Amino acid sequence: MDATTHAANPAKARNLDTVLLRKRLKSGLAHGAVLVLVLIMLLPLVYMVMMSFKTSTEIAQNPLGLPESLYWGNYMRALSEMGYVRSVLNSLAITVSVILIVVLAGAMAAYPLARMKSRISRIIVMIMALGLATPNFVTITPIYVIFRDLGLLDSYLGIVLAFAALKMPLAVFFYTGFIAAIPLELEEAAKLDNCSNWQIFWHVIRPLLGPVTATLSLFVMIMVWNDFIYPLLLLTDKDKLTVMIAVYKFVGNTGIDPTRLFPAAVLGSLPLLLMFAFFQRKIMAGSTAGAVK
Amino acid sequence: MTRNLLSTTLFALLAGTAAHAQIVLDVVAWKGNEAEPAGMPQLIEKFEAEHPEITVDLTFVARKDIDKVIPPRLQSGNPPDVTMVDSALNKLWGEAGFLTDLGTDADWVQRMKPEVREVLELDGAMLTQPLEIIGMGNFVNMDLLAQAGIQTPPVTLDELTAACGALAEQGISPMIFSGGFSAMLFVGANGIDPAAGNAAALGAGDDRFVEDASFNQALDRVRALVDAQCFDPELQAGLDPWATAPQEFRSGNVAILPQGAWNIGSFQQVEGLNFQFAPMPSGFSDKGVALDLVGPGWAIPRDAEHADAARAWVDFFAKPENLAIFLQAENAYSPYEGAETQMPELAASYTAARDAGSAILWPFSTLEFPKALQPEWEDSLTGFLLNLDDPNEDTLQRWDDAVEDSL
Amino acid sequence: MRRSYNLYLFSLPALIVLVLFFVHPVILTFDMSLTSFKGIGEAKDIGWRNYERIFTRDRYLDEIWLTLWYTVIVVSALTVTGLFFAAMLHRLPAIRNFSRAALYTPAMMSFVVVGYVWQFLYSPINGGINVALRDLGLGWIEQNWLGDPDIALYAVAFVQIWMFTGFTCAIFLAGFANIPEEIGEAGRLEGASSWQRFRYLELPLLGPSITVSVMLTTIGTLKTFELPFILTKGGPDGATRLLSIDIIDNLFGQYKFGFASALSIVMLAVVLVVALVQNRLLAEKE
Repeated sequence: MDATTHAANPAKARNLDTVLLRKRLKSGLAHGAVLVLVLIMLLPLVYMVMMSFKTSTEIAQNPLGLPESLYWGNYMRALSEMGYVRSVLNSLAITVSVILIVVLAGAMAAYPLARMKSRISRIIVMIMALGLATPNFVTITPIYVIFRDLGLLDSYLGIVLAFAALKMPLAVFFYTGFIAAIPLELEEAAKLDNCSNWQIFWHVIRPLLGPVTATLSLFVMIMVWNDFIYPLLLLTDKDKLTVMIAVYKFVGNTGIDPTRLFPAAVLGSLPLLLMFAFFQRKIMAGSTAGAVK
Repeated sequence: MTRNLLSTTLFALLAGTAAHAQIVLDVVAWKGNEAEPAGMPQLIEKFEAEHPEITVDLTFVARKDIDKVIPPRLQSGNPPDVTMVDSALNKLWGEAGFLTDLGTDADWVQRMKPEVREVLELDGAMLTQPLEIIGMGNFVNMDLLAQAGIQTPPVTLDELTAACGALAEQGISPMIFSGGFSAMLFVGANGIDPAAGNAAALGAGDDRFVEDASFNQALDRVRALVDAQCFDPELQAGLDPWATAPQEFRSGNVAILPQGAWNIGSFQQVEGLNFQFAPMPSGFSDKGVALDLVGPGWAIPRDAEHADAARAWVDFFAKPENLAIFLQAENAYSPYEGAETQMPELAASYTAARDAGSAILWPFSTLEFPKALQPEWEDSLTGFLLNLDDPNEDTLQRWDDAVEDSL
Repeated sequence: MRRSYNLYLFSLPALIVLVLFFVHPVILTFDMSLTSFKGIGEAKDIGWRNYERIFTRDRYLDEIWLTLWYTVIVVSALTVTGLFFAAMLHRLPAIRNFSRAALYTPAMMSFVVVGYVWQFLYSPINGGINVALRDLGLGWIEQNWLGDPDIALYAVAFVQIWMFTGFTCAIFLAGFANIPEEIGEAGRLEGASSWQRFRYLELPLLGPSITVSVMLTTIGTLKTFELPFILTKGGPDGATRLLSIDIIDNLFGQYKFGFASALSIVMLAVVLVVALVQNRLLAEKE
């Protein structure tokens, strides 16, 4: 449809305008409806934030409503007692290291699995499945012993490796599915140019992995941020502890007090949410780059 | 200026090397964190002043995480120097040979209350230095009670049902009674006879719950509470006794909460909450029954790196004046004879019941009841609250089965 | 394309990690399952007695069924909600990034935090949900969410679904991003409705994403224990006692490591069987 037909037939053009209008209305409604649904999903978090700003009397009298005023006392106490900044930095450093290892080793491992259908692939996939299926509380004692024998206790390296192992099967699964969906033709061209397997992996496959890497990094971030058994088990130095340990230490274990729980929960999750907000853009960049190619 | 900077740096360096020669005592405990300080900051400061060569490094590990974190360390010969244990861990780790015998000659062992010593001593060895006996009973909101015209916390069954009726009439929720923990406390206080001591035989499978008159009666008394409008069983059966139930009490939404004395500190911080801590009303006593829990203690793992410093730590807590700091912060009773009570006035009725001998040591904390019985109590009492018309036998038989299974 | 087995060298680093941290411990766990190990000290050999006990008691078989049922509920709900939001957001680029991030937020919280927040929301007396219902004049819907054995499992499942809808949605959106632009374009030119495009063009191409999503959520849900552990401890009266809850209770509540190991091996077998069956079915569909 171009401008000439428009001009030639004004009646039809008007008709088209109402169609367009209706379309826009419909799209507006769809946007609105989905947005409302998304916001409903956020309500429990809104509740959490609101609770964190209430005094204990207010929580008692008005468990649901908005806080009458922003009461910062809960946060002041949490911040002064939690050792917050140090633990955030620790979590951050561990997160980044784990992501690097998991992404590289995971994508590499997945490449042959996605491309070759042999018994070896099936065996490796089985081992990965075993890794995914193993509840980590079952393997705590052997893992501690392994770490002691390797001299990795109470070191950043140790905790990074432990976390990397925990997320490795997931990474391999992720990349296997993703690489399998990449058309073989892309590689064939490179193969004809006599590129080595490594070169193909590095120059053809790797650049396409952006979106899935972003998602995977998120999973790693979430785990490093929230797991507390491994840090408790493998780290004893207080200066190395992660955020969630700081949170649990602050909240305690008998009789959960909401004026402690909610601010600590918000503080514990906040850096992760900020990091995620930043990551969002990376995901965007990754997927658009993929689309351009 | 530069010289000043230089000398401070030098000083810092020297201090650094000096600190290196320090013994760092690795202590693991589920108390001493911010929510439950238990006087530890003050105690550590005092200890370090008395032992300048030792620096205490206290690591908080929640009780439920201790089970995951410490056994691997014990097993691999890399344990903390001192670890907190309770009676269950004392037995488990002790029988496996992972704890040091602290010796039965020490003065604090001699002073230990016999009933506590009986719980902790294993084959003539004392592996744990107990720190406290902590009470469990009813928290009572005195302002709400006053609205119903009652001035003292109920300690007999009649007083309790009367209070429930009066409170319900005023539109006040009388009582928290979740199947999980609250019901256990009430049923325990009414099933275990402080005078007869029927718990051990039941827990060992020599007697059967199904045939035990006290426990049958205890369940009937729960029904009586329901009839007296103390609580709505369907609403409360599955209530969480650890997170939301204390919050309802803190909020002043309910008049009576069965819980442990470890909540006293946290409740005291709630503005305008006027409460008392009372023994559990029971058919066995007109003073109520004090439910005493053998609390945690210190143990030195067999492979502790700084065993001598760990000894110094234990000796430090053996001094009554030091333990008193801990007990006062915890609102707990001493496990030793002749110690002065550190309890606040608001627990007077509980202390009175104890002093009158109307007290039992909670059989789950003395290991008279096997561990497996506890989840069975929680489950079956929840089921009982949801089906009050079913015969007692349905509930009690499950306990006997659990005991039999654990033998 | 023919490949040489050299390519498997790529898998080596990940394999070493896995053998060290999963295969080896699992073998140890199996060894332990033939003992009456208490988690510490010497392990006494008792042959297959732990397994005998598991398979002769209704309790554990019931728990396996409950675990499977819980997983079916959670996984199907997650697939549907994830697909729904992803399909919608794929069509609404203006709010896509914001919504994806927003939906994902719950999945970023720790289980313990989420568990306690919902504990306060579900509380029957003054909990957020019941108070909200009362305020909205919907008092008759009020429930004892976690205390009623008929509802509790679904209430717990709901939290899990709430938590991970953003997770499946993100996987599906990545899948959508992989669908060549032209395909949607072609459908639109042929006048296909939004639903038709989704059903006949996009859904078949989402095969790999669905496989990944279903596999991951299935495995994750089968071994989950955190939410039921915090919200209900397996109660009321066993209504939410998943196999994993019993494992945790045996391990750390009763120190029956040997028995808990046997239960874990059974659970591992269940997870693997489910994963294999699923893999086969999904591969066929793909």
